[in-house]
Amino acid sequence: MNKFSLFPLWAALPLPKLFSIFLFFCITVGYTQTVTVTGSTSDASGVLAGVTIQVKDKAQGTLSDELGNYTLSVLPTDTLVFSFVGYKTVEVAVGNQYVFNVVLQEDTTQLREVIVNAGYYTVKEKERTSSISSISANDIEKQPVTNLLATMQGRMAGVDIRQDSGSPGGGFSIKIRGQNSLRADGNEPLYIINGVPYSSETIGAISTSGFSPSLTSPLNSINPSDIESIEVLKDADATAIYGSRGANGVVLITTKKGKAGATSFTVNSSTSFGTVTRLPKLMNTQQYLAMRELAFANDGVTTYPSYAYDVNGTWDRNRYTNWQKEFIGGTANITNVQASVFGGSSQTKYLLSGTYRNETTVYPGDFNYKKGAAHFSMDHKSVDEKFTLTFSGTYSSQKNNQPTVNLTAISRTLSPNAPAIYDEEGNLNWEDSTWDNPLAVLQSKFTSKTKDLVANTLLSYTIFKNTSLKSSFGYSDLTNNELNAQPSTIYNPAYGVGSEISFLSTNLTNRTSWIAEPQLHWHASTGKGKVEALVGSTFQQQKTNRLYINGYGFASNSLLNDLASASLKTVDLSDETIYKYQAFFARLNYTYDNRYIVNVTGRRDGSSRFGPGKQFATFGAVGAAWLFSKESFLADNSVLSFGKLRASYGTTGNDQIGDYQFLDTYASSGTNYEGTIGLDPTRLFNPAFGWETSKKFEVAVETGYFNDRIFLTAAYYRNRSSNQLVGIPLPGTTGFPSLNGNLDATVQNSGLELTLRTVNFQRKNFDWTTNFNISASRNKLISYPGLEGSTYANLYVVGEPTSIIKIYHYTGMSSATGAYEFEDLNGDGIITAAGDRKAVADLNPKFFGGLQNQFKYKNLQLDFLFQFVKQQAFSSINGVPGLAINQLATVSDAENQQPFTAGGNSALTTAYSRYVRSDAAIEDASYVRLKNISLTYDLPLLRHQKIQCQLYLQGQNLLTFTKYKSGDPETKFTNVLPPLKVFTVGTKLTF
Amino acid sequence: MISVLTLLAFLGCDEFVTVDTPNSQLTGSAVFEDSNTANAAMAAIYAKLRDDGFLSGSAGGSTAVLGMYVDELVYYGGTDENIFPFFSNNLLATNALVSQQWNTSYHQIYCANAVIEGCENSTALSNADKNQFIGEALFVRALVHGYLVGVYGDVPYIISTDYATNRLEERMPVADVFEMMINDLERAVTLLPDAYVSPERVRPNRSTASALLARMYMYAGQWAEASNAASAVINNSLYTWEDDIDAVFLKESSTTIWQFSPKLEGNNTDEGELFIFESGPPPYIGLSSELFNSFATNDLRKTHWVAAISDGTTTWYHAHKYKQQSNTGTSLEYSIIFRLSEQYLIRAEARARQGELSSAKEDLNKVRQLAGLASTTAVTADEIVAAVMLERRHELFTEYGHRFFDLKRNGFINTVLPQVKPGWNTTDQFWPLPENELLVNPNLTQNPGY
Repeated sequence: MNKFSLFPLWAALPLPKLFSIFLFFCITVGYTQTVTVTGSTSDASGVLAGVTIQVKDKAQGTLSDELGNYTLSVLPTDTLVFSFVGYKTVEVAVGNQYVFNVVLQEDTTQLREVIVNAGYYTVKEKERTSSISSISANDIEKQPVTNLLATMQGRMAGVDIRQDSGSPGGGFSIKIRGQNSLRADGNEPLYIINGVPYSSETIGAISTSGFSPSLTSPLNSINPSDIESIEVLKDADATAIYGSRGANGVVLITTKKGKAGATSFTVNSSTSFGTVTRLPKLMNTQQYLAMRELAFANDGVTTYPSYAYDVNGTWDRNRYTNWQKEFIGGTANITNVQASVFGGSSQTKYLLSGTYRNETTVYPGDFNYKKGAAHFSMDHKSVDEKFTLTFSGTYSSQKNNQPTVNLTAISRTLSPNAPAIYDEEGNLNWEDSTWDNPLAVLQSKFTSKTKDLVANTLLSYTIFKNTSLKSSFGYSDLTNNELNAQPSTIYNPAYGVGSEISFLSTNLTNRTSWIAEPQLHWHASTGKGKVEALVGSTFQQQKTNRLYINGYGFASNSLLNDLASASLKTVDLSDETIYKYQAFFARLNYTYDNRYIVNVTGRRDGSSRFGPGKQFATFGAVGAAWLFSKESFLADNSVLSFGKLRASYGTTGNDQIGDYQFLDTYASSGTNYEGTIGLDPTRLFNPAFGWETSKKFEVAVETGYFNDRIFLTAAYYRNRSSNQLVGIPLPGTTGFPSLNGNLDATVQNSGLELTLRTVNFQRKNFDWTTNFNISASRNKLISYPGLEGSTYANLYVVGEPTSIIKIYHYTGMSSATGAYEFEDLNGDGIITAAGDRKAVADLNPKFFGGLQNQFKYKNLQLDFLFQFVKQQAFSSINGVPGLAINQLATVSDAENQQPFTAGGNSALTTAYSRYVRSDAAIEDASYVRLKNISLTYDLPLLRHQKIQCQLYLQGQNLLTFTKYKSGDPETKFTNVLPPLKVFTVGTKLTF
Repeated sequence: MISVLTLLAFLGCDEFVTVDTPNSQLTGSAVFEDSNTANAAMAAIYAKLRDDGFLSGSAGGSTAVLGMYVDELVYYGGTDENIFPFFSNNLLATNALVSQQWNTSYHQIYCANAVIEGCENSTALSNADKNQFIGEALFVRALVHGYLVGVYGDVPYIISTDYATNRLEERMPVADVFEMMINDLERAVTLLPDAYVSPERVRPNRSTASALLARMYMYAGQWAEASNAASAVINNSLYTWEDDIDAVFLKESSTTIWQFSPKLEGNNTDEGELFIFESGPPPYIGLSSELFNSFATNDLRKTHWVAAISDGTTTWYHAHKYKQQSNTGTSLEYSIIFRLSEQYLIRAEARARQGELSSAKEDLNKVRQLAGLASTTAVTADEIVAAVMLERRHELFTEYGHRFFDLKRNGFINTVLPQVKPGWNTTDQFWPLPENELLVNPNLTQNPGY
C-alpha cells in the first residue's frame, strides 16, 4: 500500500478521527515482522468457501472467498484457526510458512452448534428446549418449484403439506401437527418473513377468478430461491411467544444475506418440462356406449330421447377422443433464470439478486404464469460492533393468465364420442347446438397481476456490555389486480347474441401492513449459570382495500379489456378493512452448567378482531432441557455422543376469524334495485365470542451415537384446543349458514414424530448421508357436552377425530332390484342420512414422512427424496353410471354393480348417491412418491480461472407408487389438475 | 421475570386495538333510524328476490325448474348438471339446487324479518315509513313461504331473526302455513298504501298483497275470500285491460300489478335471456311439444307468446312472452310477477266453484278474448273449472311454476305427468328437504320417497 497516497483523503476527515487513524497507522507500521500468508480451503469434495480464518486469541481474521482462497497478514508467532460450521476446526502455527492449503474434515457433532432461528431470538441447536424443524437453501435450491410450501413437503416431521392443484399459481395446504380448529379456514400457520408477519389470506374475488387457479395465494410472491432457511416452530415453547397467532405453528422465513469477501456473481438458469403425474383410466367409446344403451334398456326406454345426442346417432358413434389427453395432456415449459451479486467487508455486506420465471401450462391454448423478483439485503455493523443494521427488501411481480374453466373436470365427464372441438376451418365447432363446446370458454381471459413488496429493517445497539436494544420495523404492500373478460363468443351462436352481452369483471385488492417491534435483550453469566432475557412489544396494523368493478355491454369484443368501453358499470364492492394488533412479550432463559436449561416465554395480545372487553388475552409456556450426555456417568461413553431430554408446556391462541365479525352490521350489497344500492345484513350477530386457546405439551429425546453419525430425535406431543372459536353450522331456516361463537368442546391432537439422520459413509471422495422422518398424528374430540342437541350431532363423535366423515355401511346388492343396499342402523325400515349414516371414516393420513439420501462422489452429488403418506380416499365420483357422463374404465364391468340408469330410475339414483357416501366407495390412497431427485456435477475447472460451473438435473414427482385407481393420490379424484411431474436441466455459474 | 409479565399483563392498551365500523357498513340499528337506509335494506331484498331463489328468471328459478319438472319445458343441457334431475324427476336430497333454493328462501325471509324488527324498534322512522316497510316485508315473507310450502310441503314458518329458536323449528302442517301466510297478507293489505311508492310498479302496493292473497285463498280452497281479494285488485282503477297481446309483457303494461326493476339500466328480463334461441336444437331449454300442441290453432298466444324455430325438418319452440334477450339501452321489458289475467282466472274459478257460473264465464272469456278465442262453451261448474285450468296452462306458462301448483292442488299431478314423464313417481309432488338441513336440525323430517 502506498501510504502517501492517503494524505489527500486525510485532509477531508475530521480531526479526532484523523488522529486515531494516524495512531493505527503508526502501530501497523511498527510491526515490521508481519508476513502475508495465503492459501485455499477445501473439503473432501472440493472448494469450501466462506471458511473463517481467525488468528488465535486476536481480533484479526478473514473469510475464504468463493474459490476457497484467502490472504491474511499475520505474525510468525501466530496460530491460524480454520473453522466452518459442520466441520472440525483446524489449528496451524504460522512459523516460517507462507502458504496453508487446508482440507477440512466434516464433523457431524458440529451440527449441534448450528444456530437456529426462533423468531425473536436465536438458539444453539444443542441448547434448544423447543420443537423446531428447518430446511436450508441447500435443500430448497434442488427443487424446481415456485411455492415455498412445496420445498418443505416430505422434509419436516409433523408438517403435512399437500398440493391443492397442479395449476401454476395454485395453492398448497399446510397442517402443522394436525387440525386444531374446527373451522376449515382457521388452521393456517403464522408466516413471518425476516420478522415481518405475512398474511397468507387469499386475495382476489371468486367472481373474477372463477375456477382457476381458485383464489391467489399470496405465498407465491415469495421466491424460493431467495430463501436462506425456513424454520417451522411447532410446540408451545417455540410458539407461545407468538401468543394468539401461534396455535397452528409458525413458519419463519429468512431470506439470503450477503457474505464478506470479494465481489461474486452467480447466474443460475434452468429449463423444465412438466406433465400431469397420474390420470385415471376412463371408458372408451365402445365401453361408454355399451353403458348408455344398457342404462336406457334398464329404464325401459326403447326410443332414445331427442336430446341424448351421444347415443341416438346424432353424434358419430365411432368417434373417440381421449379428452384427458386433449385438455390436460400437454407439456408445461418452465424457464427460470436467477442472477445474484454479493460481497462486502466484514463491516458491510450486501446481496442483490433477481429472478425471472415463466411457466406455461398443460392446457391447450396460450396460458402462462410469469414471475419476476428482486431481492436486496444489506448488513452493517459499526467498527466497535455495538451498532448493527440489517435491511432486506424483496419485490416480486407475478402475472398469471389461466383458463377460467376447469378443464380437468370436463375432461373426465365429457362423453368420449363428443364432437370435434374445431371444424375444418379451425373455428369452434358447435355441432348444430348439440353441445356446449368446452373450449369456447377459453376465449374468455383471466389475468391476475400481483405485486408484492416486503421490506424490513432491524436496528440493534448494545447499550451496556450485556444489554442491547433492538427494534425491527417491517412494511409490506401487496397489490393484486384481476381481470376476467368474457366475450359473447363463449356462448352458443344459437342464442344469437353479440358483444352487447360481453362482460368484464375486475378486482383490485391492496393490502398494506406495518409492524414495529421494540425489544430489549439482556444476558449475563454467573459461575456456571447463564441467563438470557428479552422483553418486547409489537404494534401492527394491516389495511385491506378492495374494489370490484364490473363492466357490461361493449361496442365490440376487441374493446373488452377496457373497462371504460363498457356501456354499463357496477361497483360490486368497495371496502376497507383494518386489523390492528398489539402485544407485549418476554422470554427468560436460564442455563446451568451447560446441562440444565429452562426457557420461559409469555405474551399478552390484543386484537381488533374481538369485541370490546374481549380483545386481550395472555399466553405463556415453559420449556426445559437436560443434556444428560454431559453427566459424568455418560461423559466418556463411546457409543452415546449426545443426549438431550426436553419437554414443554404452554398455551397459544388463534384469532383467524376475519375482521369485524363481532359487529352487527348491514353492508352495501352492491346490487341495484330501482336506482337504490341495497343494504344487506352481514351476519347473525354474536358479540360475545373470544379467544380460543390451545394447550400444547411436548416431550422429546434427542440422541447422537458414534460421534453423532447417527442422530435420532423422537418427540411426542399432545395439543388440546378448547373454547374453540368456530362458525357453528346452522340450518338454513336461521337465514345464515353459520354463527361465530366459542364452542364448549375440547379437541386433542397427539402424535409421534421421529427424525433420523445417519452419516453412512464419510471418505475422502465419497459421502453418503440419509435423513428420514415419519409422523403419525391422531386427532380426537375429547369432550363436547351437549353434542347430541347441537348442530354438530351428525358430524362428530366424542372419542373420534374431528376429521371424520360419516358414511353408510354398504351391505351388498338387492337380490330383487340389484340396487345397492345399506345397513338400516336404527331399524326404522328406511335409510336416512341422520339415522343410518353412522359409520365413521377418517381420511386424514395415518402417518406420513420422507426418506432423503445424499451421495457425494468427487464432483458429483446425488440427492433424492421419497415422500410417503398412508391414507384412504374416496374413489371416483362422477355421477350415476348410465348418465351421459364418462366413468372410470372399471365401471364397464356391469356385473359387479347395480344396474345402470339413464336417469329414469329414482331408486337406483338414490342408492348410488348413498353408495358414494359409504364404506364401499373408500379405497386405499396411500402412496410413495419420488418427490425430488437432483444430480449435480461441478465441472473440474482450474482454480485460477476464478470460475465455477455446476450442471444439474432435477426432477419433481417423477415416480408415484400407489394402489389408488382414481387418479393422483395427492389431489385425489377432486377434479383439480393433479401435480405435475417436472424434469429440469440447468447450469449454475459462479465467478 | 414473573413480575415483568404481570406488569405487562396490565399494560393492554385498548385504544390501539379498537377499530371503527368499516366505511362500507352500518350498524344494524342505525339502518332503521333513517328512511333512506331502511329503504335500501328493503331494496336489497327485492334485488335478492329478482336475482336468486324461486322468483329468479334464470336457470335455477321456479319458472325454469318447475317448468321442466312438469310438462312445460324440455331440458337439452348436459346430464352432469344439477338441473337435469329436475327434468328427469329424479331429485335427491343432496341436490345442490334443492338445498340452494331452501337456504336462499329462508335467507330472504330472514332479511324481511330483520326489516320488520328493525322498523318496530325504530324511534326515528315515521309511521308512514314503518307501515310501508313492514307491509312490504310481510308481503315478501308470505310470498317466499308460499313457494317453500308449494314445493317442500310442510315447512317451518319463520317470523323472527332469533337463531336460537329458528334452528330447531319443526315442519308446520301445510294448512297452518297457509293460515300464517294469509294472516301476514291481511296485515300487509292494511299497512300498504293503494298507490305505488315509485313510478314503475316495482314495489308492491296494497293490490299486490291482495293479488297474492287471492292466490293463497284459492290454493287454500277459500273461494269466497279468493273471489273478493281478486275483485279488490280487478276493481282498482290503476289496472286497465290491455287489448294488444304484444303489449302485455312490456314494462308499461297496464295489466301489470308487480314487476322487478332490472339490475342494470337497459337490461331486460332473465327469462328472455334464458329462453330465446335462434337456431335449433335448443342449446339449453325448449318449450315442450305437449304444451305447444295443446293450444287451439287460432290461439294468438301460440304465435305471439311462443316462437317456433325450424331447421327444415324439425321444429323446436321457445317461450316468447319476453322478446328481448339482452340490454337495449332503455329497458323494454321487466319480469312481471303479478298481472291482471291471473286475477281474472282466480275469480273465474272461485266464482265457478261457488256456483256463480255466468260471472265466472265472463271472467274466463275476458282472458280468452285477448287470445283471440271465442267464448267458452263450458256449461257446468266442473266444465268451467276445467276450462279455467286449461286457460291457466295457456295463459300462465313459464311464469313461476303455475302449472305445477295447479296440477297438484287439483290432484291431477299423478295422473297427468306419468304419461309424459317416464321418471315420475307419486312422491315427486314434493321435493326432498335438503339432506344437510336434516343433519343440523333434528326436528325436521324427510318427505316420503327420498
